[in-house]
Amino acid sequence: MDIAKFKEMFLNEATEHLEIMVNILLQLDSNPDDPEGIDALFREAHSIKGMAATMEYGETARLAHHLEDRLDGCRQAQRISGVEIDWLLEATDLLGLLLSDIRSDQAERNVDRFIVSTPKEQVADATVVDEPREIVPDSSKKGVLIQLKLHDTVAAPGPRFLVLLKRLTDFGTILKSTPSKEDLLQGEAPVQLLVRLETDLEQEELCQQLEKYSELKDISFPPEDEPAKKQKKQPTGKTVRISTELLDHFINLAGELITNRYQLQNALKKRDWNELDDGVGQMVRLVKNLHHQVLQVRMVSLESLAGRLSRTVHDLSRNSEKEITFETDGMDIELDRAIVEELTDPLIHMVRNAVDHGIDQAGTVTVKAWRERDQVLVEVADNGCGIDPEKIRQRALTVGLLSSLQAKSIRNYDLFQLICQPGFSTVEEVNETSGRGVGMDVVKTAVEHVGGILSIDSSPGAGTRFILKLPLSLAIIRVLIVESDGTRMAMPITRVVQTVEIAAADVQSSGKQLMIHYLDELLPLLSLRKILRRPKGDPHDPVSVVITEVLGRKVGLVVDRLIRQQEVFVQRLPEPFDQIRGCSGGTILGSGEIVFLLDLQSLFERRRS
Amino acid sequence: MAKRVLIVDDALFMRTMLGDIFTEAGWQVVSEAEDGKAAINEYRIHQPDLVTMDIVMPEMGGIEALKGILSEFPEANIVVCSALGQKKLILDAINAGALDFIVKPFQSRQVLEVVDRVISG
Repeated sequence: MDIAKFKEMFLNEATEHLEIMVNILLQLDSNPDDPEGIDALFREAHSIKGMAATMEYGETARLAHHLEDRLDGCRQAQRISGVEIDWLLEATDLLGLLLSDIRSDQAERNVDRFIVSTPKEQVADATVVDEPREIVPDSSKKGVLIQLKLHDTVAAPGPRFLVLLKRLTDFGTILKSTPSKEDLLQGEAPVQLLVRLETDLEQEELCQQLEKYSELKDISFPPEDEPAKKQKKQPTGKTVRISTELLDHFINLAGELITNRYQLQNALKKRDWNELDDGVGQMVRLVKNLHHQVLQVRMVSLESLAGRLSRTVHDLSRNSEKEITFETDGMDIELDRAIVEELTDPLIHMVRNAVDHGIDQAGTVTVKAWRERDQVLVEVADNGCGIDPEKIRQRALTVGLLSSLQAKSIRNYDLFQLICQPGFSTVEEVNETSGRGVGMDVVKTAVEHVGGILSIDSSPGAGTRFILKLPLSLAIIRVLIVESDGTRMAMPITRVVQTVEIAAADVQSSGKQLMIHYLDELLPLLSLRKILRRPKGDPHDPVSVVITEVLGRKVGLVVDRLIRQQEVFVQRLPEPFDQIRGCSGGTILGSGEIVFLLDLQSLFERRRS
Repeated sequence: MAKRVLIVDDALFMRTMLGDIFTEAGWQVVSEAEDGKAAINEYRIHQPDLVTMDIVMPEMGGIEALKGILSEFPEANIVVCSALGQKKLILDAINAGALDFIVKPFQSRQVLEVVDRVISG
């Protein structure tokens, strides 16, 4: 039984509609007389209602229908009030909860109380009370549910289903069909047709009629109460929507790779080096293309995240009575789905911080995203009161994060990183500056977890900017390969600030600690051999150093050799190796050599502890 | 008495092939037509039990002819023939009243199955 498949589709689509509703509502909030916005809102509610009714999610359908009615009123009035926008936002929250009920296979929560809470404006109550019943299916008129599936070889599934649907009308009245006749006429080619037919015929007779269609692989009559029970075991699997265009690309590429394979085999047989060379060149192109296309599948834009952020700002500014303008830019930038998911909460947190602590009475919060080569940068900025570096310095001294010597020499850039230290602001003294640190350690950890870097810039009175430097993808990334004690290791390029080779004579020592000059800074040198507890090697000259940033400070990591940069496919290590600290995965190089991916963050943490 | 079919297709090859399939199955091919206009005329004359109608034809296409025939003879049994990849046209034809469709290239078995369904249904 495939109802579970539809459920997943329903949930995905309904969630999208809901996100769009929230976005439109927030736009209407600043421009309540926009009839097109109200129309669009109406259509979204209508779509949700239609889908929910088809799936027989009664409460969801009832609420969506109620919203639709209400919005119809707004449509006629050509405007929407602030009270209504707030109420509708609450309604979208409730719809979200209903969807999570459905997702977790629980009975939908009742929406009566919410419907009663409808603000009394514009819409006549009569329509509200009467109509919702209409869409809740009348159990006496339920009809029989028929599920039809075609053989994979059927030439034109869409038209075939259309013929079947028309044929079924000879046997009774079609109460509902998924997809509908209109969808089929639009060219939809589904894997199955689900029809609710009101008929006098017995199942057997229907079956006999339908069996005349040898195109049908499967004719079944799913029992009514089965879906809910069966779904219980269904884990909430992650699905990705992918355009047929992209699928076609894959098929074409697969085809070309097959041709390429024969070309190579042939060239090898004939020992024709020129053709072999051609073939390999062709393969390089194909694989690169394939890689690019595959990445597309996992990519999502920041659009939906922008909606949530905008919502956060809206709610916060209502509650705190601050006047906040929220601006976004570059939300069409796409990132690996896993990265967007991982960063959703941290970004909401940062935006919340900006409203709560950054801005005093009125101001602007901006979220901007842009591409820089194979990285994506996301900036959360406010034009509020900013952070006073002096206050951080004092605080760091009090908490013991800095010695008095360090406190004098530390640069502002590094100083701001300190607010991401766990415990920096957990002490009860919550003022403007320390308040900003709430949870920033969580944010920083999340950013670094996906292989990114968080940087902070601020000055008193000029607002604060948080910049997240992120990789595009988690699976295939660019790494720097280094060698230490005869072993090659890789580190994500996003974590590398720069690689330098320094004459041994230019290495200075300050007590036990070796230091180098980098730009105008003095950076401590750490040896990868030492961190990995490998034996000390012969001194190199020049010394190969990877400048990286850990725990908010730049350091120079000494390696035996810098090998090269390349793109690799990173695989997570299986249990129990995933527990090894300092190693976040592995990859196999073209030579067959296994190379581990260094997780610098946890390596250094291990070292410190 | 043998059932009677009108075959409409602009290609002689297709008409011949369909004609053979029908004749072998015991049908009588009462007439053939090369375009939509001729199809309507032939239908008026013979009023056959079934029409197989190509969709893409010069002069008047199959969908228009189908509508023409059905407007005069609402009970007409019409099956459309179409090449693979003309999904939109097939959908339009069904929407306009075609009872079923055959996708070219076809096998006689498939044609006869469709025809039997249409006649017995």
